[in-house]
Amino acid sequence: MKLERYFKKTILRTSREEEEMKEASPSSERPEAPQGILKKCNACKAAIFTEDVKKNYYICPKCHNYFRMHAYRRVELIADEGSFEEWDRQMEINNPLNFKGYPEKIAALKEKTNLDEAVTTGRAKINGIDVVLGICDGRFLMASMGEVVGEKITRAVERATELGLPLILFACSGGARMQEGIVSLMQMAKTSAALKRHSEAGLLYISVLTDPTTGGVTASWAMLGDIILAEPHALIGFAGPRVIEQTIGQKLPKGFQRAEFLVEHGFVDAILERENSKEVLSEILSMHGYGKCYQNTGLREEKDSSAWKAAIRETKITEADQDTTKKTTAWECVQKARKKDRPVAGDYLSLLFPDFIEFHGDRLFGEDGAVIGGIARLGGRAVTVIAEAKGTDTKENIRRNFGMPSPEGYRKALRLMKQAEKFHRPVICFVDTPGAFCGMEAEERGQGEAIARNLYEMSDLKVPVLSIVISEGGSGGALALAVADEVWMMENAIYSILSPEGFASILWKDGKRAKEAAEVMKLTARDLKGLGIIEKIIPEPEEFNAAALPEVCENLITEIEAFLENYSSMEETDRIRRRYQRFRRM
Amino acid sequence: MIRKVLIANRGEIAVRIIRACREMGIETVAVYSEADREALHTQLADEAICIGPAPSRDSYLNMERILSATLVSGADAVHPGFGFLSENSHFARRCQECHITYIGPDPEVIEKLGNKSEARNTMIAAGVPVIPGSKDPIYDEKKGLVIAREIGFPVMIKAALGGGGKGMRTAETEEEFLSSFRTAQKEAQMAFGDGTMYVERFISHPRHVEFQIMADGMGNVIHLGERDCSVQRNHQKMIEESPCAAISEELRKKMGAAAVQAAKAAHYKNAGTIEFLLEPDGNFYFMEMNTRIQVEHPVTEWVTGLDLIKEQIRVASGLPLSLKQDQVKLNGHAIECRINAENPEKNFMPCPGRITDLHFPGGFGVRVDTSVYNGYQIPAYYDSMLAKLIVHGKDRNEAIAKMLCALGEVVIEGVDTNVDYQYEILNDPVYQSGKIDIEFLEQFMEKRAHK
Repeated sequence: MKLERYFKKTILRTSREEEEMKEASPSSERPEAPQGILKKCNACKAAIFTEDVKKNYYICPKCHNYFRMHAYRRVELIADEGSFEEWDRQMEINNPLNFKGYPEKIAALKEKTNLDEAVTTGRAKINGIDVVLGICDGRFLMASMGEVVGEKITRAVERATELGLPLILFACSGGARMQEGIVSLMQMAKTSAALKRHSEAGLLYISVLTDPTTGGVTASWAMLGDIILAEPHALIGFAGPRVIEQTIGQKLPKGFQRAEFLVEHGFVDAILERENSKEVLSEILSMHGYGKCYQNTGLREEKDSSAWKAAIRETKITEADQDTTKKTTAWECVQKARKKDRPVAGDYLSLLFPDFIEFHGDRLFGEDGAVIGGIARLGGRAVTVIAEAKGTDTKENIRRNFGMPSPEGYRKALRLMKQAEKFHRPVICFVDTPGAFCGMEAEERGQGEAIARNLYEMSDLKVPVLSIVISEGGSGGALALAVADEVWMMENAIYSILSPEGFASILWKDGKRAKEAAEVMKLTARDLKGLGIIEKIIPEPEEFNAAALPEVCENLITEIEAFLENYSSMEETDRIRRRYQRFRRM
Repeated sequence: MIRKVLIANRGEIAVRIIRACREMGIETVAVYSEADREALHTQLADEAICIGPAPSRDSYLNMERILSATLVSGADAVHPGFGFLSENSHFARRCQECHITYIGPDPEVIEKLGNKSEARNTMIAAGVPVIPGSKDPIYDEKKGLVIAREIGFPVMIKAALGGGGKGMRTAETEEEFLSSFRTAQKEAQMAFGDGTMYVERFISHPRHVEFQIMADGMGNVIHLGERDCSVQRNHQKMIEESPCAAISEELRKKMGAAAVQAAKAAHYKNAGTIEFLLEPDGNFYFMEMNTRIQVEHPVTEWVTGLDLIKEQIRVASGLPLSLKQDQVKLNGHAIECRINAENPEKNFMPCPGRITDLHFPGGFGVRVDTSVYNGYQIPAYYDSMLAKLIVHGKDRNEAIAKMLCALGEVVIEGVDTNVDYQYEILNDPVYQSGKIDIEFLEQFMEKRAHK
């Protein structure tokens, strides 16, 4: 039954009630949305309440799109209340090209936005930690960088250097400001030079890229952070997408030049969600020794150790277990090392470093899932952690390329080691790879060079380096993370020049003789300790899987702490000399 | 003044509101989801605006779309009906900000009464009896146990933001208390993101008796008698009637005065319902206040002769109440049965589908409020209520006889319904005796299962 056109509609009439009503409220206001109560999300096109947007960190409550934030709202979001002290307000904006209409435009924008330029700088506290802040505001000529923007940033960087403070810049910009011509271009060099000095002083610079960060700002200070974070989906690039499309005459793929694209291509360390931005930033600052981090760690440790104990209670290994492992043959060892349910690096990381913050990318070409790197605390000490990672299921294994790193994985590792060196953090490496990835792309990007570079740079890295072979130490791909002060192995891990299969096939032209090869290769932890290739063997239970890991880690954490204590107290030159000798004698 | 009302709801209540407006010469705007294009309310209203896809959160719960529709249509008032946004203080506030008349209480009042502990404190301050229980929120079971001892067992453990039986447990003993508290709190944390709990005396064998009140903007408050809603399953009412068989004229006066007092204390405006638990000995306790029109409002309409929806609109447009307390006379007895598309033999599982044949009863003293018609496709997205069958007789016996006749005439083909089940309840000697409490239905179901 279709109901359309059956029903009579309302007859408008002046009833007695209506008369009464008119008298009751003769002058009621017409319904209308007050100015600004509703707005439209430019991503999902939904109508949304402005108030909801404000309460939701300027993120669309419907589609989670990030709206651009005003500089002072960002200050409120990031800085402790009342802690922001603004610097260099009301600097005079010149017109070097005598560009027609420019001064008028500036005057109008100042009036409209209540800003004095496209960047706001100053000093603030983030969860009690002193920082220098610089925040761009896109409402002011799309936050393009002219002389004053460049100058304000440079001064902020210089003062941060003088004061020995970390620096956080929130980038958002259309690029260099056209109206100021070549003078704008020079700001790129000026700001970069100031940042170089800040870095030389051993200070931390975190760059946060927000939508959009393009042109001369991307090509200068925005991309120079020790740590580069980006807001979800932010457009980040040198040339704008429209210019690229016109130049190459092609449509750009979806997601091109977005923050996630940059992570994938190795240029952004991590995505920074706005809801957590204050906490994440203060955690990173704290791990770099700013603020009261070492007082805080006491609390954290206590919490963690209780989690530990609970985990350990569930998995007890008996002495008997350990006895039987002693009789393991080399081939059994190989099989154990490759066993599917054996813990992978990710398992170790989550147990040993509950506050681990992962950083991605090599800043050159890409992000390699086969290598995980980042910073964490261990016993109140900040450390850089780098691990070759296999997956726990097929999906993760594909993402992690079955633990076979590409050149960008090694280059990411090196980048993070150099960062550790700058901030005096020891480096702990977990080695678990069948070998470096053998593929065309890996060769094209210089797999050999990448490995060689790591051996070369690690040999005199100024900070303590520890490498632990947790399962498979496959050839050069393993060594590239194992030029360390000490190398340890899990009891049933293997470390060798090649897989037993490869060894047998090269020397005996018969890959099936792998078992035999394993016995002669001296690839077990015990053999290698005997040869002086490694320093320590970490005992394992008979059935070594993720469930048994907490018990193993309990021992491991004590050992690592002792290592850190020992090597950190050593004279730097002494430590490097010993590392040199360690390999020199082999 | 109100010239055009947007009905922010669907189903029979939307139809009910459209009818009231039409009688008053007020234009109506229906909103509908993509699943409700063919719905009666969509077709019946003067205008209809689609507000999004079938799921409620994208349509009937989407405040932005409903407000935009209101502004676009030029409606000057919104009637929220029940369910959906009807007790959402943000929605009421947003209407206010846009100068749209919200047909209901003020946002502050909705907010205050929506919070169980605040509502309770308001009632204590107004001298309305409440169930003995904790005054302050409880966060851990040990503190709760101390208070439970003070109150005396058996006790009920309740979540502050609870509803629909979630985060609710009873405990007969101290041992039982600790585990029940933990379970209830965990449940509350999961369901409402808040683990604030209360402990109170568990009232045994109570009736669910609620008072309809009506208040205007000038501070006048009247009550319109009570409704006995004791026949319920998992806090879902099935049969409601007015008056309540257990209430004497004297008790009605007392409870009515408490209800009026409660509404005044909350600075209430428009239609509302105060729910009480009534013990066999005549003690009654405030449970909660519903800040909206209710499903079962027709039984009150029938015994009082007052159109509650029209009265809501009058009050919302600034007019005084159309009658005073001494003009309220309860006349005869009314019963409402909720007809749902559900299968009582399969644990009342909802049964959406197409209605292939339909016949509703009529005659003297029989009212059917529904939004279904022959050939109607019941969408699976919303609740399963198809119709409300309401009868009026000179006394309870006549009303029961009339309801049995009416239920016996209902034909709904194509989907499973609870019509026969309702018929059985009306035929039950215990129900007919009027000696019912909130455990009645559970006992009825057990009895039925043994047959």
